[in-house]
Amino acid sequence: MPAPLPLLSLGPFALVCAAAVTVLLGIAWQRMHTVSALVTIVGLLGALVLQLALQTPDSAETPLLVFDGLSHFAALMVLGSSLVVALLSHTYLRGYTGPREEFYLLLLCAAAGALILVASQHLASLFFGLELLSMPLYGMLAYRFQSSHSLEAGLKYLILSAAGSAFLLFGMALLYAQTGALDFTGLASEMGPWALAGTGLMLVGLGFKLSIVPFHLWTPDVYQGGPVPATMLLASISKLAVFVVLLRLVLEVPTFRDEALSALLAGLAILTMIVGNLLALRQSDLKRLLGYSSIAHFGYLLVALVIGSRFAVETAGVYLITYLVATLTAFGVVTLLSSPCRTEEASNLEHYRGLFWRRPWLAAALTVAMLSLAGIPFTAGFIGKFYILALAVDAQRWWLVAAVIAGSAIGLYYYLRVMVALFLREAADASRAGRGGHWLNDTIVLVLALLVIVLGVWPAPAVDWLAGLNY
Amino acid sequence: MEQTLTSTAAEQWAIGLFVLAVFGLCTFMIVASWLLGGRSRGREKALPFESGILGTGAPRQKFSVKFYLVAMLFVIFDIEAVYLFAWAVSLPESGWIGFWAATLFILILLAGLLYDSRTGALDWAPQPRSPVDSTRT
Repeated sequence: MPAPLPLLSLGPFALVCAAAVTVLLGIAWQRMHTVSALVTIVGLLGALVLQLALQTPDSAETPLLVFDGLSHFAALMVLGSSLVVALLSHTYLRGYTGPREEFYLLLLCAAAGALILVASQHLASLFFGLELLSMPLYGMLAYRFQSSHSLEAGLKYLILSAAGSAFLLFGMALLYAQTGALDFTGLASEMGPWALAGTGLMLVGLGFKLSIVPFHLWTPDVYQGGPVPATMLLASISKLAVFVVLLRLVLEVPTFRDEALSALLAGLAILTMIVGNLLALRQSDLKRLLGYSSIAHFGYLLVALVIGSRFAVETAGVYLITYLVATLTAFGVVTLLSSPCRTEEASNLEHYRGLFWRRPWLAAALTVAMLSLAGIPFTAGFIGKFYILALAVDAQRWWLVAAVIAGSAIGLYYYLRVMVALFLREAADASRAGRGGHWLNDTIVLVLALLVIVLGVWPAPAVDWLAGLNY
Repeated sequence: MEQTLTSTAAEQWAIGLFVLAVFGLCTFMIVASWLLGGRSRGREKALPFESGILGTGAPRQKFSVKFYLVAMLFVIFDIEAVYLFAWAVSLPESGWIGFWAATLFILILLAGLLYDSRTGALDWAPQPRSPVDSTRT
């Protein structure tokens, strides 16, 4: 008789899946855009509330999944980000002429995959979660298939992701050949050359998803081509979930902390920070720019992986919160300016020239997001960057410290460039004045922007909460 | 680490030799035929070889996307039947929990099938639009 399942801990996941099936049946019965969106939002909100209520002091686990502080934190982030994306997708899709309801179905499936991924402690659930997260993203990225950019983004992500998954699977096979186990505790039992090779291959596969520098080439095209809500989901939950599972691997499996591998990771981190920021310098497209900026941000986050101590988990948590809030704000503004998606999306920087004089609140939100991504004090980004620097200094990794500082300095230039464009006086072109959306959408983005500032000015509650999570 | 490397090399040298031999043989065959073989040029030589018969028609025919759709649906439901086999052979061990899990699994599959048929994925002919698509709001 197997041990009883921790049904309560699985509750949020079950709710998200139930919402997905409900949306599916709803489409089969009758297509109703608003109802589908409502079911999605209610499902995600219910899951979020349940996850908040759970607060597991003693970590429940099944052979495949573990519900501890780390997965609790990550699940909250995943559900919160999905909720924001679902809310904004409704506005975005209103002008879309093709079938609109399936977008929510894909969104819910991706959220379910991310929930599995962040809680996985077995290679099987890791792969399952990763695929459940990636598969819907292919569809979402190619959702506006009439536009060749969107189709290109979807196909590119599909093919490169499949290559990444192949590396991951081969790495898992090698690890299994060495240790004869697939669960993380079993993997920890033995080390050897095959396990090391497998670990390297798994890092390649996960590096694809995180767009770490040698494997980053897909990022800008996919970010630019995909519909904004899909890009938003890719930039938030996909990256977060993959990073969390990589963090768990590094903490629990000793081969991931091997000295040579750790040095390699440190090198990749430095490369990612510098190259990501340098490539972003000359971008004239906001979505591409955000793509490169996300590469750089995951370079900073790799510092936490390289050091991999108890404090590193807290650092990664703080940084992930600040990154997510700022990214969601920035993409939220792009979504609101692009919707309804009748024509091409407003991603070129030209669209943002003089935005302040047309939509002052959105311009303010975007400014706050950019300041936070650049790591200016009094925004959330500063707290995150401060934590990363403190961690690196504490571990006396001076090269990493230098790279973080250099990367931030380079980054400041292109973030400021976006901000300057927002406040320019000229070219207040009536044709792209953009009509005001529903007040609720603006409110979502403004609340996110406010959150960026609150986290920057008064980070104590969030930091205390993160430190209190048992891992 | 040194020790394990040495022992691994001792255990796995045959595989290494085999891999080397495979690459060596392939390289030898390509290089040797390239060096020793005769060569001739001409207009006819540039044509694609189709068993001595000249090719007719364009090779890039368009297939209806329905073929792929049906193939995909077949693979999906086929694979899902494979999962049920795994449950069927362990029926006594998995007990009632297994039974209800499999029931839930089949119900979700049925929901997917219902969705497919209602959105017209199973209609072979393109013309009659499904009721869902025509009542778009």
